[in-house]
Amino acid sequence: MADLLSTSVSGLLAFQQALDVTSNNIANASTPGYSVETANLVEAPGQSTGIGFIGSGVDVQSITRTYNEFLAQQVRGSQASYSSSNTLATQAAQIDNMVSNPSSGLTVTLQSFANSLQAVASTPTSTAARQALLNQAQALAQQLTSYDSQISRYGSQLESQLSGDVAQVNTITASIASLNQQIATASSNGQTPNQLMDQRDKLVTQLSQYVSVQTTTESNGAMDVYVGTGQALVTGGTASKLTTVAGTYDPSQLNIAITGGGTTADITSEISGGELGGLLSARTQVLDPARNAIGQVSVAVATIVNQQQQSGMDLTGAQGQPMFSVGGVQVLADANNTGSASLSVTRGSLSALTTDDYKLQYAGSAWKLTDVTTGQAVPMTGSGTAASPFQAAGLSIVTSGSPASGDSLLIQPTAAAAAGFAVALTSPAQIAAASLVQGTAGAANKGGATARSATVTDPSTWNASSTGAPYTVAFTSATAYQITDRSGNPVTTGVYTSGSPITFNGAQLALTGSPAAGDTFTLGLNSAANTGDNSNILAMTDALSAAALNGNTASVASAANSLISRIGVVTQQAQNNATSQQTENQNATTALNNASGVNLDKEAATMLQFQQAYQAMAQVIQASNQMFTSLITAIHG
Amino acid sequence: MTAVPISTLTFRTNALDSMEALQAAISNTQEQLSTGKAFQTAAGNPTGMAQVNQLDMELSASQQYVKNGNLASGNLNLENQALSDATNLLQSARDLALEGNNSSLNAVQRQDIATQLNQQLQQLVAIANRTDANGNYLFGGFASSTQPFVQNGNSVSYSGADQVSQVQISENQRISAGDTGSSVFMGLPTGNGTFTTAVGAANAGTASIGPGTVTDPATWTANTQADPGPYTITFTDPTDYTVADGSGAPVTSGTYDPTTGGTISFYGVQVTLNGNPASGDSFTIAPAGKTSAFATLSGLITTLSSTTLNSGQMATQIGQSIEQIDAALNNLGNVQASIGGRLNAVTTSQSTAQSRQTALQTSISSISETDYAKATTQLSSQEIALQAAEQSYASLAKLSLFNYVA
Repeated sequence: MADLLSTSVSGLLAFQQALDVTSNNIANASTPGYSVETANLVEAPGQSTGIGFIGSGVDVQSITRTYNEFLAQQVRGSQASYSSSNTLATQAAQIDNMVSNPSSGLTVTLQSFANSLQAVASTPTSTAARQALLNQAQALAQQLTSYDSQISRYGSQLESQLSGDVAQVNTITASIASLNQQIATASSNGQTPNQLMDQRDKLVTQLSQYVSVQTTTESNGAMDVYVGTGQALVTGGTASKLTTVAGTYDPSQLNIAITGGGTTADITSEISGGELGGLLSARTQVLDPARNAIGQVSVAVATIVNQQQQSGMDLTGAQGQPMFSVGGVQVLADANNTGSASLSVTRGSLSALTTDDYKLQYAGSAWKLTDVTTGQAVPMTGSGTAASPFQAAGLSIVTSGSPASGDSLLIQPTAAAAAGFAVALTSPAQIAAASLVQGTAGAANKGGATARSATVTDPSTWNASSTGAPYTVAFTSATAYQITDRSGNPVTTGVYTSGSPITFNGAQLALTGSPAAGDTFTLGLNSAANTGDNSNILAMTDALSAAALNGNTASVASAANSLISRIGVVTQQAQNNATSQQTENQNATTALNNASGVNLDKEAATMLQFQQAYQAMAQVIQASNQMFTSLITAIHG
Repeated sequence: MTAVPISTLTFRTNALDSMEALQAAISNTQEQLSTGKAFQTAAGNPTGMAQVNQLDMELSASQQYVKNGNLASGNLNLENQALSDATNLLQSARDLALEGNNSSLNAVQRQDIATQLNQQLQQLVAIANRTDANGNYLFGGFASSTQPFVQNGNSVSYSGADQVSQVQISENQRISAGDTGSSVFMGLPTGNGTFTTAVGAANAGTASIGPGTVTDPATWTANTQADPGPYTITFTDPTDYTVADGSGAPVTSGTYDPTTGGTISFYGVQVTLNGNPASGDSFTIAPAGKTSAFATLSGLITTLSSTTLNSGQMATQIGQSIEQIDAALNNLGNVQASIGGRLNAVTTSQSTAQSRQTALQTSISSISETDYAKATTQLSSQEIALQAAEQSYASLAKLSLFNYVA
């Protein structure tokens, strides 16, 4: 009889515990990261009797949680991918919004500037038209510098978000390490601390939001967490710290390092996934390229317009001055350099200039140039001296100081260009609408040729030789000419082909009609009286719309337009990736929740089951009582 | 297939996720409808954005070219008017010259004509110095702020430039927005265009020489290149002449009949003489030089004012002046024809620009503007989907076994 009672009591206790577990499941039905728990019932050991073993009831052997590590890893992985794309998409969308304004976009401003040039060309003496051109130049400068400063602002926001995320990662890894210790201690009695495990799994998922991680579980239940290519963030009860360190080239761009065991290692290039990965991608794929591309447009506008200004004469009769100033090439030395090398880098060919950054590294005996964006080696000509600078990628590089082997410098051809872009002219009269030179036919000419136009095609060559002006082009026959300077010294001779301009000393003289032998033409500085001369500003509109960029394949406007669409493509891709990875993450979360989450209907059924079992057990006790009573009554009766 | 149990949390989050996605889609469609734009930023349609930007630039440039064309045609019309006025003026000067070319007029009568011509010269200078609405000289060329023609007594000099500004009237078309004073009024050939004729200053006879004609240009060119002249016709007696070249070498000789006049030919040209030459009288024929409309008029004035010229010299010089006025008129006509051509080019380019702009605007709209029919349909189907999701969630969320557990 005693057995009956003790068996019943074991049942009552077991079912009560099972109901406790069910009740806990129901209570946590809405708790994220909660894994449904099950009371595992086992039959109590039997007692040997003559007729065989009689069971002694039921025991709760353990309470286990339903958890699927494989699904959890999928959740973490997709979480890290989604969070990375989403961060990249958010960062890219800022730039996308900035450049996409349809009424005041960069292409609109460039076209308005071109239209203003046309308006000055149509009315070269109109101060109103010239002032309008200066205003448009100012608007263009404002737009380019405002783009640049917005990118800088997004950049510094990005850096502070990077620091914030690193702090978050450290808080989470510290908690994981501490949970690892508690779990190891709690597991020592053979039971798993489900609540602590749930908490830790939730933290690891949270960590995936910031950076992609891998995990392994130790035999004592502790979970080791790795980042990048296997750098340990958490080992058992110890967490390594992530820190931000100043970039070796650009100290304002932070790198990510891991500190553990007394050493610090830069793991920026190994970080992937999560917000950290997204921010680093945004920096290299969106912000830096956008700044460089806007810089390239700035350089192109300034170079083309300034060159043409120099080929022209302004309203006061003086040679045109540069209309725009533009930021120079930025050179950043590696902070780890041990030598004293420094560089002086200037831009040469506009067509060869790229939007990439370059690294110049001293390899013990020679300098090597690498395109940082593509990773490709770039061949250089020249020897790096002032007399023979290195020439590559539209740059002219002069080295000085003594480099140590391995020293390197980062060359950013266009990154700082837009920041320094400004209008240098102050007065409308300074717009050089007229050609710097004019051609005149000799009064005694017999032939029918007239001087159609005179232009300076290469201002620096012309400037170097302009003291010889006016030059006389004397036709020795209808097809041959000799050019002499103002003092009568011969400059050159040539063969005249009808329709082809006569070119010398950076200047060009174009004739119409046929010259006769003995005819002379003069090419000299233009007269200040020629205020209606618009030939230079027309040449400026031509130069501005010519394909002078990217290996003479793109005009300024098309470069600006492709910059906008490129940012659009990057943003669209990031957004599409974020959307699909969000779905993937939702699916993985659903799969994990379905496997380990609480289904209330199921819990209701379980509750009924244990409730009924409990009631039945109580009935057995009552039955045992009745049996006992019957027996007593029988004895007394 | 066995049913996979769905956790209660999943059921709720999945429902919310899909409702959120629908709401985002509705908001996107609504934005398209309210802004009228099919995409808001480049990310919405990168290629579309690039196309729209490109088309917008072309549209804006085309509008600028139309403005340029208006400006050019305004200038050209002003110039055309000035040239018509100059033509009328030179026509009446020509009439006056014909009137003055009459040996029956006395010196006072010729002086009256000269005075009238003097006023016309001043008027012609005024026309040549006309300005546009902004005060820029029409005929100054590049030197549009400097008065191009300055009259000093009877002589008029040109201080304008020999080049004229170009105006872009379409993507690949530039026209001259004007003409230089030098090309309109200056650089006219003297005489008949090939050579000039003159009566010797010391001639005693009354014979005059006409402007002459070229019968064989090649022979004339070949010979004048060898010896530029001037060629001299000298009368050894009233009926016999010899022709000598610039170096005095004889070219030809012949006889002349004073009663009928006569034509003298040599080296591919012929000149006609009228009247009675005296023995020793000479006439010169020289290759043509350059003159201007102003110099022509002032030369005519000087001739008519002269009291010393004999009738032969008078008739010859007036005849030359009429030839030169004709050349000036001819040149004005040519310039006006060229202006007409340029005005035509402006009109053509502007009407092309108009249809192009319409086409550009249509393309821009088709890429960048919301397709309202499509967007509206999309919005209503998205609304239905959201309503269905909300209703089904609201009713399904109520289902629970606990409702039946007493």
